[in-house]
Amino acid sequence: MNKIWHRIVAVVAAAALCSCARSSIPPDTVRLRLSGSPTTLDPALIVDVTSGRIAAKLFNGLVKLDEMGKIVPDLATDWDVSQDGRTYTFRIRSGVHFSNGRELTARDIEYSFKRLLSPEVASPRGWILSHVVGAREFSDGKSGSVAGISVKDAHTVAITLDSPFAPFPYLLTMPNAAIVPEEEVKKWGADFGFHPAGTGPFVLANWEQDVRLVLTSNDGYFGRVPHVKHLEYRIIPEDLTAIVEFENGNLDVLEIPSAEIPYYLANDRWKPFILSRTGLNIYYLGFNCQQEPFRDVRVRRAVSYAIDTRKIAATVLEKRVEPATGPIPPGLIEEPALTTGYDYDRERAVRLLNESGLAKGFRTKLFLNTGREELSVCEAIHSYLRDVEIEAELVPLEWSAFKKAVASGEAPLFYLSWWADYPEPENFLFPTFHSSNWGAAGNRARFGSTEIDHAIEDAQRTLDDTERWRKYRETEKMVVDEAPWVFLWHRKEFVLHRPRVEGLKLFPIYSADKGTEILLNP
Amino acid sequence: MRAYVIKRMLLAIPTLCGVTLVTFLLMKSIPGDPVLGMVGERADPHVIAQMRQNLGLDKPFAVQYLRYISLLCRGELGRSHYTNRPVAESIATKFPNTLKLAGAAVAIAVVVGLTLGILAAVSRGTVLDTFCTLTASLGIATPVFWLALLLVMLFSYVLGWLPASGMGSGAPAFLVLPALSLGTRSAAYLARITRSSMLEVMTQDFLRTARAKGLGEWTVTLKHAARNALIPVVTLAGLDFGSYLNGSVLTETIFGWNGIGRFAMEAILKRDYPVILGTVLIGAVAFIVVNLLVDISYAFIDPRIRGMRR
Repeated sequence: MNKIWHRIVAVVAAAALCSCARSSIPPDTVRLRLSGSPTTLDPALIVDVTSGRIAAKLFNGLVKLDEMGKIVPDLATDWDVSQDGRTYTFRIRSGVHFSNGRELTARDIEYSFKRLLSPEVASPRGWILSHVVGAREFSDGKSGSVAGISVKDAHTVAITLDSPFAPFPYLLTMPNAAIVPEEEVKKWGADFGFHPAGTGPFVLANWEQDVRLVLTSNDGYFGRVPHVKHLEYRIIPEDLTAIVEFENGNLDVLEIPSAEIPYYLANDRWKPFILSRTGLNIYYLGFNCQQEPFRDVRVRRAVSYAIDTRKIAATVLEKRVEPATGPIPPGLIEEPALTTGYDYDRERAVRLLNESGLAKGFRTKLFLNTGREELSVCEAIHSYLRDVEIEAELVPLEWSAFKKAVASGEAPLFYLSWWADYPEPENFLFPTFHSSNWGAAGNRARFGSTEIDHAIEDAQRTLDDTERWRKYRETEKMVVDEAPWVFLWHRKEFVLHRPRVEGLKLFPIYSADKGTEILLNP
Repeated sequence: MRAYVIKRMLLAIPTLCGVTLVTFLLMKSIPGDPVLGMVGERADPHVIAQMRQNLGLDKPFAVQYLRYISLLCRGELGRSHYTNRPVAESIATKFPNTLKLAGAAVAIAVVVGLTLGILAAVSRGTVLDTFCTLTASLGIATPVFWLALLLVMLFSYVLGWLPASGMGSGAPAFLVLPALSLGTRSAAYLARITRSSMLEVMTQDFLRTARAKGLGEWTVTLKHAARNALIPVVTLAGLDFGSYLNGSVLTETIFGWNGIGRFAMEAILKRDYPVILGTVLIGAVAFIVVNLLVDISYAFIDPRIRGMRR
């Protein structure tokens, strides 16, 4: 009797223990994956993509981006730009409420923007509003107000810039320019980032740090109410585990890890459910243009000619990227590129090195972040450089040490990428090549050219889109000619979804995705 | 015994002070700048300077260290530079998860390790001994992360028996794979130690006396021999438990287990100093407590030790 009883207990225990690897599918929840937890959901403090992606669904700004990357109204119904291009007058939508129930007014815009510039908050993204009259004085603590932000009435706010700046509306689409309620910020203080209160299509229902976030649709949303009730983001750091969870049916949407892209593209079952687009980014080999021998533009051009980027893109990266000819990603502007970049030409590379007095080659160091893909790419680059007598010692560093080495100018050569904060070509020219932005501000190559500086500034002041794009292309050509970088490629993103998910779209920028398009098949 | 415990607790204080100082020194000497990671890819120099000032990172090393000590004296662990969450609050959430995983892993290690070790010892020179020894060697040679991924593929993907990640609101099924992958290596070491220790004990005269008194072989082995072989086993199990309480980065990362290990590792990569200090401190306390418990257990395993301590 005892033996039978023990066996029964064992079987029941095993059954209780072994819950199925495939959990039940919630009918009103889209389940997504994040590889890491958001840092904060306080718009003023967001710097990472993960936090920005979530915040985009909880908050609104004056304007937003559509799926083509064009500026469209958000909290503002419309706006005027003054004749001199300096003053933007926004008319604010009526009947918009924060998640705490209070109606939004123009005062909230003023508060949110002042908060972004406040020295107490010390937002890393205060530069978004740096062109606003009085912004610098306010940020430096020399003034108690921002002269360029003026509330006309409960639903009108005017923002005056110190000079015409065409990309300004695009900066307002960034998550950091989202509008927040003052009373909630004061109530939660330093913890506001964990208790976000916005006007967005979703509200934060639950956040288990490093485990999951659940967003619930805001039925009182002023815009298109989401089709789905919940978005559940599960924090799954390991790629293989995420794939197993997707295959087991526990995830609905998965950004395909790089190593698995060839598998899924060749998989007949999943291929129809893959969305792909070339991202707004540029991967590059940066030179420290203030260090020898890279002060010499001939040496930089020689290195550019010495590397067969198309071959690396096709073999090492298995066509997960699109080869680049310059810094501006494809599809960002209609104006065609004026440059074809540097095609692989070993003889020309050798000739340029001879002209610069480096016929015998030279030794240098190539800094990179530790990572399997980075190492594979840089080993290929090392091989090409060795072929022209350039011995580039690979220096893999973990991320924090790598950033410091690059920002401080220690690295003579480095492998890095630049991703768009907003879909405007200026974002790929000003922070990266203007001489005022050396180091951590974006111009990590420490490149400087008065001519290019003026060209960038001129384009920034040009309000006519077609004219401005033409100037961007001309500036791009000048930059490519100076070769402060080897322009490698633009990375593509591949997103896989289960058949029950419909309406999923890939937006040009993560901050454009409000989550209102996605819906579930019953 | 009470006096012994109190003495050990008092000795822990200078130990913990030493731990904070060494950790602080190490943190400040490794390359990397926490502020650069916090400001993103584009930041004005004056914002970086302001942030450094707000966080007190522009102060001399001694000032920063004393500030941290005064924070500890107030019972606080500071706030994360990145998330601004109180470190104590985060640790309070994550440590029980790590404790659960560590406990389950050590339980598996002890049960499997002792079984294999005793079997190997009593069947010395036989096929069973060879099997147990080879199994233990395989366990020692298998990397934890590789085993973890293999378990996920087999039990979650292929067989669909167990979940691949998460903690599932405490359901036992979510604990199985992480505990197995973490406990396997420990089980292998314990098996080897147990075998050696048992072989040494089994040659002693008191076991011959026990057999002469008519006790069965398994009674002699389990009740008499095994108990006398336990000291090195308990030592090793205690060391492993203490180590697991400091967090198992690979296991927690692969299984998405919300524990101290992953938390600490991410903090190290980001140079999030308050979190690094907090997790190291908690880890040191855990190790001190576990070592004390192991030392106390010796007195119960071998009463002669209790007499020596008097």
